[in-house]
Amino acid sequence: MTEMGRSLPRLEARSKVTGRADYVHNMRVPGMLHAKIFRSTIAHGRILSIDTSAAREMEGVHSVLTGEDITRVMAKPYFGPAFHDQAILALEKVHFIGEPVAVVLADDPHVAAEAAKLILADYEELEAVFDEVEAVTSKAIVHDELKPAGTFADLKHLAGRRNTNVTLDYQLRRGDVEKAFAECDHVFEHTFRTQQVLHVPLESHASLAIPGHDSLVIHTSTQTPSFVRTEIARLLGWADNRVSVQVPFLGGGFGAKVYVKMEALAAALALLVKRPVKIALTMEEQFYTISKHATTFRIKSGVSKDGRIVARACDVWWNGGAYADIGPRVAQKTGFTAAGPYDIENVRIESTEVYTNRPPAGALRGFGVPQLVWAYESHTDMIARALGMDTVEFRRKNILREGRPQATGTAMRDAAIDKVLDCVAERMNWTAPFDRGAGAIKRGRGVGIGFKASISPTTSGAIVNISADGSIVLYTNTIDMGQGSDTGMAQLAAEVLNVPAESIKVVHGNTDVAPYDMGTLGSRSTFHMGNAVKLAAEDAKAKLAALAAEVGLPEGTNYDVKEIFRKRYGMQAGNVVGVGTYVPRYTPPDPKTGQSDNVTPFWMIGGTGAEVEVDTETGHVRVIRLVNVADAGKPINPKICRTQLSGGAIMQLGFTLTEDMVFDGGQVTNPSFADYKIPGFRDVPVMESELVTATQETGPFGAKGIGESSTFGVSPAIANAIEDAVGVRITELPIRPEAVLRALRAAEGRPLEAV
Amino acid sequence: MIPFDWVEPASLKEAVSLLDADDSTVRPISGGTALMLMMKPGFFVPSRLVSLAKIEADYSSIRAGGDGSLRVGAMTSLAELERSAAAIVNFPVMKGALQTLSNIRVRNVARVGGALAHGDPHMDLPPLFATLGARVSVVGPDGTRDIAVEDLYLGYYQTVLKNNELIAEAIVPPLNGARAAYKKITSRSADDWPALNMGVRLEMADANTIKAARVVLGAASERVTRLAQTESLLTGAIVNDGLLKRVSESAAAEARFVSDAHGSAAYKRELLRVYLPRTIKEALS
Amino acid sequence: MSETRTIRFTLNGRPASAAIQSHHNLVELLHQLGLFGARESCGQGLCGCCTVLVDDVAVSGCLYLALGVNGKSVTTIEHLDESGTLSPVQQAFIEAGAFQCGFCTPGFVLMTHQLLKQNPDPSEDEIRHYLAGNLCRCAAYPEIVEAVRLAARTMKQARA
Repeated sequence: MTEMGRSLPRLEARSKVTGRADYVHNMRVPGMLHAKIFRSTIAHGRILSIDTSAAREMEGVHSVLTGEDITRVMAKPYFGPAFHDQAILALEKVHFIGEPVAVVLADDPHVAAEAAKLILADYEELEAVFDEVEAVTSKAIVHDELKPAGTFADLKHLAGRRNTNVTLDYQLRRGDVEKAFAECDHVFEHTFRTQQVLHVPLESHASLAIPGHDSLVIHTSTQTPSFVRTEIARLLGWADNRVSVQVPFLGGGFGAKVYVKMEALAAALALLVKRPVKIALTMEEQFYTISKHATTFRIKSGVSKDGRIVARACDVWWNGGAYADIGPRVAQKTGFTAAGPYDIENVRIESTEVYTNRPPAGALRGFGVPQLVWAYESHTDMIARALGMDTVEFRRKNILREGRPQATGTAMRDAAIDKVLDCVAERMNWTAPFDRGAGAIKRGRGVGIGFKASISPTTSGAIVNISADGSIVLYTNTIDMGQGSDTGMAQLAAEVLNVPAESIKVVHGNTDVAPYDMGTLGSRSTFHMGNAVKLAAEDAKAKLAALAAEVGLPEGTNYDVKEIFRKRYGMQAGNVVGVGTYVPRYTPPDPKTGQSDNVTPFWMIGGTGAEVEVDTETGHVRVIRLVNVADAGKPINPKICRTQLSGGAIMQLGFTLTEDMVFDGGQVTNPSFADYKIPGFRDVPVMESELVTATQETGPFGAKGIGESSTFGVSPAIANAIEDAVGVRITELPIRPEAVLRALRAAEGRPLEAV
Repeated sequence: MIPFDWVEPASLKEAVSLLDADDSTVRPISGGTALMLMMKPGFFVPSRLVSLAKIEADYSSIRAGGDGSLRVGAMTSLAELERSAAAIVNFPVMKGALQTLSNIRVRNVARVGGALAHGDPHMDLPPLFATLGARVSVVGPDGTRDIAVEDLYLGYYQTVLKNNELIAEAIVPPLNGARAAYKKITSRSADDWPALNMGVRLEMADANTIKAARVVLGAASERVTRLAQTESLLTGAIVNDGLLKRVSESAAAEARFVSDAHGSAAYKRELLRVYLPRTIKEALS
Repeated sequence: MSETRTIRFTLNGRPASAAIQSHHNLVELLHQLGLFGARESCGQGLCGCCTVLVDDVAVSGCLYLALGVNGKSVTTIEHLDESGTLSPVQQAFIEAGAFQCGFCTPGFVLMTHQLLKQNPDPSEDEIRHYLAGNLCRCAAYPEIVEAVRLAARTMKQARA
């Protein structure tokens, strides 16, 4: 037992600091064509015609292809993890500004890009809808018919419907909320909003498809190689094994690269022109590819006079944009925890995801939970303040404790919510006097805490191969996009096999050799793949022991692995292959009540404390300190875990203060880093990251996922700190200085003019 | 991008001759950082670029005059200016202002002439130089003319420069004991284009009395602007809280603002109201 | 106008030449020569993933025309460990765990080399200012500060 808790550097560290790590971005093969996409310029409409003639005539253009061409290799070219709503290139209709409509192929990417500018499309414009609440009742219907994909076990309940924009409406009922509201001492109701933002990994999406005689290899920047293989094979009507999906390192993912993104287009193009085709998106194109849901959350709580929350009603609307992507799962899984990490007898939750004519929204680090925590932790703070209670004490009084049933009825197990809250408060020195600032600059502090259910039921498989010289290769389709999974998985296998993690070679992201994995997403890999790796390593270890017994080596002795193989095969030959597959138990929630005795295999817990300075004359907010605490169970690699914590918190800091997709009639007006501002060095406060002492009994050696936990509490902690500093409440993200100044001036009774 | 003709004249004069008064697709390129940002998305499609990289080395030099003035060759990089002892000793305001006007790689490459000629109202060098009363010497086919920096700009990316004129150098007059301060205010992330930038240059009659003032505003509207009424209010005035309040109101009333992604006009006006007294105080501190 | 031109320059200490077109940028030139450590990400000179040294000055390769390096000396991330040994800065980045996905890392490493050459003992504020033009979406910023300090210490000891 030496590998667990060991902060060794990433296995691939050297290749990354020397610039030699492989990304799809770098790849090129002989004969490769570059694809550049022509995109819709209207938000909603029927395609009347597409004129590609000028583009075709440009010197150096190989070909120009539209949705009709795609049907020559894929008869029904629609895909998506929840609904088959996404055409590879638009057919009949376009649904948002930026939707791919046609493609130019050329040897020179500059030529392809210039030619794409020459394509003309004519549309019959249709009424568009952009707001998530309006979309529920709007006459503008984004998709004529909803076609459930039927791929994932947890989304079997999705229904095919017509004349609606609603992709999913999850509901939860526990106790009698209306009765409790009527009988309690205080009722509070607030509405919170979040803006549409996006992942912007620094490596934009890239896919390179290479056609073979009766096969296809796709090198792609995906977080979900197994899904990509199955989905491309389905689109082609092929057996899965004719499609090979290979993934080097990812230059960031954060949920942008889950399910199929550019792979289907690259595959179709390569098969159509019988040459390798590479699609590498620009940073601007990421803004038309995938994003994070904008939301509206109306939350209402009934509270007793002694400060117990007795009832909570939550109505959440998710703006899914033009493709469902994985949005229905976001709406469902977040529905489990929308009432927050509190012990509340009476709960009603409605979580509704809708189509709109915006760029699509999917999964982004936290899978919708940060939007929820923004609302419920702001709301919780507002209640505590209204009751005159300390905001941490109020939380402590209501927090969900071990063994208590959560809103779905599932009992909390291995969920250190109380410890995380206590640790945040302690680190913030919460009970000590606090410097409130001077002059125009006022200081304040706040906390926020949240939790998340994992994605279930999902499956992971791993293979451990011990060679005759004793060296070990681990095969896994978990993708290392920076989170350190290669290192963590090697540590787990090493722990079982009693070798140093550095000696293990990890082969990742190759569907030809590594077994099925549902995907590198939702902080699931450490738990699910971690368990699979542990099982595979144990299987290999048992088989090695059996082999040792077979060759007559006495049990329990310290034999050399090489010796076993030599004795068995007469030379350095043979190998031992251990296989592990892990799928946790899961009880689907009752469709009417949302109740289940087992909605998740583990809980993620994260809390944040923030200290801010507010310039009361300009509204500028400076976050000076962020304390991020999470329950990682028993961390495999504490150093990497802490980096994940601060990294996630800084990303959420961007979503809180600066990042915002700005729209004008469905057109994103700031699709670049010049105007979409992610946090840089001078935006980052003093960061403190802490893991509480905990264990996940069902996790591999007590570990669980942590990639999203620090995103939960950041936004409300900052808003709560702002109110603490200057007494105004911000209810919409992002919190820009102008919004703060407007709130301050409104509170003073001298509002700033509208424009 | 599509290919273009590329020429590298060996002299400024030759460069001017390679430009075309009537063809805006022929342009000079110095550092090229701003021009590339326009070329990559196709906002500017050049037929010919006239590189100034090989013109006389003289245009890359910084020279301090015996009187405390500064002559900055147009091909001086922003980083060279920021590191120049002559610049920062004689004009302490330059160091801080230059360090925040863009990231270090851009400062390494972008040239003073290009930054002054580009005409983007969000850039910091034009208002900074206008605050200091700098002038540029502009060379064209018919000779040289001399223009005050604040008079270079007509509107959004519009300058008084003809297509075949080049800025050869900038001349910053001596500070002569005047006090100057410059502020860049962002409203999104710390490193961003400004919501507003402003500079003040105050010549003092004594510790509290202002003899002459320059107040320059950038990023508020489509061009760099001097606030003349506010300057006259400051001239001859004694600095106290009452004056700062009047100056702040005067500037807010005088300046024009355009709403944009950095803030509404009302908000920018408020920023000016708050930051002008802060900038004056900093200049005098 | 679309004809290619041949440029000659020094690449990582060795003479190099390449046939390029006028509109190609420095990152494209390096990719053409098989060097992928400088990469275009934001395309606007704001993220620093495309950092390259030209005549020992850091530039954003995505905003730098390839023609501009004619006759100059170009240094890329690949030069730092050509001896087979990591530079103290690279070593410090590993020890401090100062990256996750690694896509931005070559840019940060090169910029740190430049910073420490100009300022061997930078304060935290100076580090943040100098590196403010490099973005890390994984946000390993606290670890990067640690790495820069560590590298500064190692280099100081090596000088002593």
